[in-house]
Amino acid sequence: MSQTQTQDKAPWWKRKDVKETAILWVILSVLLGGIAGEVIARSMGAPASETMANTIRMMKVFTWVSAPVAGLVGAIALKSLLQKRHYGDTPPAESDHEIANSPKAAAVWIVTSGLLCLFALVFGMIVMQEDAKSLQAPNAIHVNVTGQQWLWNFDYPDNAGVRSHDLYLPVDRPVIFNVSAKDVKHSFWIVQMGVKVDANPGYITQTAVTPNKIGVFDVRCAELCGLLHAYMQSQVHVVSQADYDAWIKSQGGRA
Amino acid sequence: MNRRIVGAFATVVLGAGLIAGIGTYVSAAKADTTILDATPAGTLETPQGTLKHYTMDLSIYPDSFFKTSSPHPDWVSYGPSTNFRVPAHSAITFTMKQYDSGEPITNDFFARVAGTMNGTININGKDVTKVDANTIGHTFTVRGLSNGKSNVFINVPMPMVPEDKMSENEGEYINPTIVKFTIITGDAGEYVWNCEFPCGDGTLARFGGPMSSQGFMSGHFIVTDN
Amino acid sequence: MTTTMGRTASAGHSAKSPLIEKLNVFTAFGLGIILAVVFYVLAAKLIPEDTDAMLIHTKHDQIILLAMIGWFIGFMVGIGALIGPFRWLLGKDLSHDENMFYAGKDLGTKRYFRYTTDHKVVGIQYLVTTMIIFGVGGILAMLIRTNLGNPEGGWIHPQAYNAIVGIHGIIMIVGTIIMITGPFGNFVMPIMIGARDMAFPRLNALSFWLIVAAIPPILSSFFLGGIMTGWTAYEPLASESPAGMDGYIMFICIFAISTMVAGANITATVVRMRARGMTWNRTPIFIYGVVASVALALPAFPVFFLSQIMSAFDRAMGTTFYNPAGGGSGWLYENLFWLMGHPEVYVILLPAIGALMEMAPVFTRRPLFSFNVAVMGIAGICGLSALVWAHHMYMSGWAPLLNGPFMLTTELISIPTGMLFLVLVGTLWRGRLWLTVPMASIYALLWNFMVGGITGIYLSDVPADGALHGTMFVTAHFHYTLMGAGLTGAIASLSYWFPKMTGRMLDRRLSWVSFWMVQIGFNVAFMGMFLVGLAGQPRRVEAYNAMFNRGNMVTTAGAYVIMTGMLILLFAVVDSWRNGIKASDNPWFAKTLEWSVPTPVPLENFATLPVVTTDAYGYGKAKS
Repeated sequence: MSQTQTQDKAPWWKRKDVKETAILWVILSVLLGGIAGEVIARSMGAPASETMANTIRMMKVFTWVSAPVAGLVGAIALKSLLQKRHYGDTPPAESDHEIANSPKAAAVWIVTSGLLCLFALVFGMIVMQEDAKSLQAPNAIHVNVTGQQWLWNFDYPDNAGVRSHDLYLPVDRPVIFNVSAKDVKHSFWIVQMGVKVDANPGYITQTAVTPNKIGVFDVRCAELCGLLHAYMQSQVHVVSQADYDAWIKSQGGRA
Repeated sequence: MNRRIVGAFATVVLGAGLIAGIGTYVSAAKADTTILDATPAGTLETPQGTLKHYTMDLSIYPDSFFKTSSPHPDWVSYGPSTNFRVPAHSAITFTMKQYDSGEPITNDFFARVAGTMNGTININGKDVTKVDANTIGHTFTVRGLSNGKSNVFINVPMPMVPEDKMSENEGEYINPTIVKFTIITGDAGEYVWNCEFPCGDGTLARFGGPMSSQGFMSGHFIVTDN
Repeated sequence: MTTTMGRTASAGHSAKSPLIEKLNVFTAFGLGIILAVVFYVLAAKLIPEDTDAMLIHTKHDQIILLAMIGWFIGFMVGIGALIGPFRWLLGKDLSHDENMFYAGKDLGTKRYFRYTTDHKVVGIQYLVTTMIIFGVGGILAMLIRTNLGNPEGGWIHPQAYNAIVGIHGIIMIVGTIIMITGPFGNFVMPIMIGARDMAFPRLNALSFWLIVAAIPPILSSFFLGGIMTGWTAYEPLASESPAGMDGYIMFICIFAISTMVAGANITATVVRMRARGMTWNRTPIFIYGVVASVALALPAFPVFFLSQIMSAFDRAMGTTFYNPAGGGSGWLYENLFWLMGHPEVYVILLPAIGALMEMAPVFTRRPLFSFNVAVMGIAGICGLSALVWAHHMYMSGWAPLLNGPFMLTTELISIPTGMLFLVLVGTLWRGRLWLTVPMASIYALLWNFMVGGITGIYLSDVPADGALHGTMFVTAHFHYTLMGAGLTGAIASLSYWFPKMTGRMLDRRLSWVSFWMVQIGFNVAFMGMFLVGLAGQPRRVEAYNAMFNRGNMVTTAGAYVIMTGMLILLFAVVDSWRNGIKASDNPWFAKTLEWSVPTPVPLENFATLPVVTTDAYGYGKAKS
């Protein structure tokens, strides 16, 4: 018997091409997961809140979970490409003994992708719950955010009369944003804290976050709102509680 | 073989040329291609030390008849230009002649002064830190991308001219409210300004029309290194 | 004179109405322009001026909309769309000679400029029109990317820039919707199922000419002040926009009618006119892709149409559907829009994947792996896509409690999508790969769609969407799926069916050069875009923070490479059409029915209608 014939009689997982594909699968999965995960984490920068840290971690997890799927697809495709290629104006001979159907393979694939989906869903819902904690915190400060073509302005209802163009927040304290707009839809987005909610005219929407890093961060508008949408940006200054109280006083408010 | 290479190359060149042509046309079709430079005026003592001093004179008109040609002569407009160029790290004194009438402003946050030297503006001779929110004509509000350079936010509310003091004739502008203020520029960069008191009548939230078209109630504010 | 339907008039009478012979695209344009001007002038005279008491001034919009309606009526009358219905009003129908005239018999090239019902003519008309649409969209894309090469923007001022971004988007969306179903769904599909034409040939011509009628309104937008919104035309910003918005509204309304007409036609054709013996099990997978696509479009586009009518009412009649000042809400618009908007991306994708799944057996010389799984995947995508729309609205604040359920349905849709991957790699496995552009396109799809799909999973996750919604990450994601997967499928389809449609082979060397330039340029461009999106660049911005400069330069460079590749493809198509190598009837040695008819395909496709006994994937000795 020729070698291929012996091979054909071997169980499918012992076949040479299957083994090579498996190796390729592992290599591709590690490469894709590792590189993509690193690139994502680095691009998103240093998080300024637990919410953002959760988001970055979750994206890394999802990357690692999807990498084997991508790796398998890539491995099979690459192996096929590396095996038999034919160029020219006439087709190669038709292949023989080829599988047209494999209910087992289909079932495994569908069940596995179903489980991966379930995992992603549950993970996502858990993170959603954690992020929502800031919204229910009893010691949260409130900030009213008003989007207007094309700037943000902020009011601090707890500190009567304080209004500003830039946002000042104390570190490690939950803040609840009540967001609205005066004209068209905008979207209030604190980039490094990973929170976002649309500002709708005539309605108030809410989001909340707990900043956990002192520094200066960016607020950008994330919904096209007309001519100067690109410039609808402000800065968030996260400072210590003492500095925050001092700032409130300097703006004429009561701490 | 030759024909294919030449043909493909020609198609690419022609296509790129077409794009460049259309781009040039679109780029040039700006509603306001003028730019106003600040006028040197010696030096000025400021809380940040002695800085080079410049001046800039602007007006706000209730219509656009002052322009030699405008597709919308009935739209309110800043003049003589909506694009300004000022040097970095200098003191610039603006004199605004506000000829238009007004109403209660939609968001009274913009009735407060912000970002000017000493936090005040001078209206018809008097220094104030805010204007009565019920009598605003326009605002001059400057800001930029929050990109780590000087975070600029300047807001200058300008009171209205009472209806009875305005002229009956189109294109005739009298009795302006004079608003003077000085700003100290930071790093070089491109910023934008627009009026934050919408008055585009007949449009949604009154922010359409002149408010949303280049060359009337918004423009560029360019800070250059000298 | 007889009054029986379908019979000609009495003998001696000319069997063709002279009017039918005279109507063509030039009379259509002419009559359209005339009626547009007439309606404009009448409207300007008769509609009362806006009063100061009105919250929103409506006269200008009323005039523009009426002028565009005049254009539409004039164009459709001028092209001859109403001849049939007019006859029915008189109790008659077209004569046999008239029907053959309509089918383009003996008319030569003139038939491409008329209301021709032959599906092959309509297919070619769609092909050329789609190329023009992509050309315009592509020019706009290059303007956008050139402006974004520099952080301060400024080459094109924000007002024009926003209009260009919005119109680029909507033009490309329309282009990608029709890019496979139009040329190949029309030309190839009836032959592939063994029919002589489509179920409703006159509706076929109607669906094409409606697209042509829709184009001048959207192009006129540029000269009416442009649009302020993105392609999604969100209210209330759309109500604030200048009159160019009316051009968008008209474009969509006409296009929606075209899509619904085409959808009904294609569905009826496939359901009722397959050849004898072509059971659903023996129907090629490309057909499934096309039918599923139009089956999705049929319920979705009326909703889009409705949302635009309501926008038109808000702009031109003073209603406040979307204006909170009158009790309306932008959320209503978002829901209506995305009810269409999500199924629509599958409308775009399914024909592309269906086409590539059709090509996979041909270029691996083995059967399609798991035909049943492929059908289940397509059906699953079709069904689930109607249930996911509010994942576009996670951040809108409309219904935060519904974020979880929509996350569930959106995650679920990755299961049928995964099934299609299984089918494709299963077909590649142990195949004898014939390296042609269609084969390479399958690989390109696998990569691009994998990237697009996985980035979609990130976006489907609510907390991640908090960081990514409204950023360039989203833009990169949908370009990967619609362009990386969809357009790749369309270009592959063009390479594959070009010999049957034109009788010539598409130049091999040029199409390979184009393929590599487009794919490499595409990946460079949009990978760069993912990075700036992750770093925090919002979308639809004309200027950005200097920190995003490098990523944008990379994307702009990639865009220029794409442009070069697409222009080379354009030349290849035009040059091969005229001077290409003559193709045999079945250059790919494929087994679907369209390859069994001669090239050029005779007017009625088959001398005798075929009887089908097997599916089209009998390559080699298949083992169940």
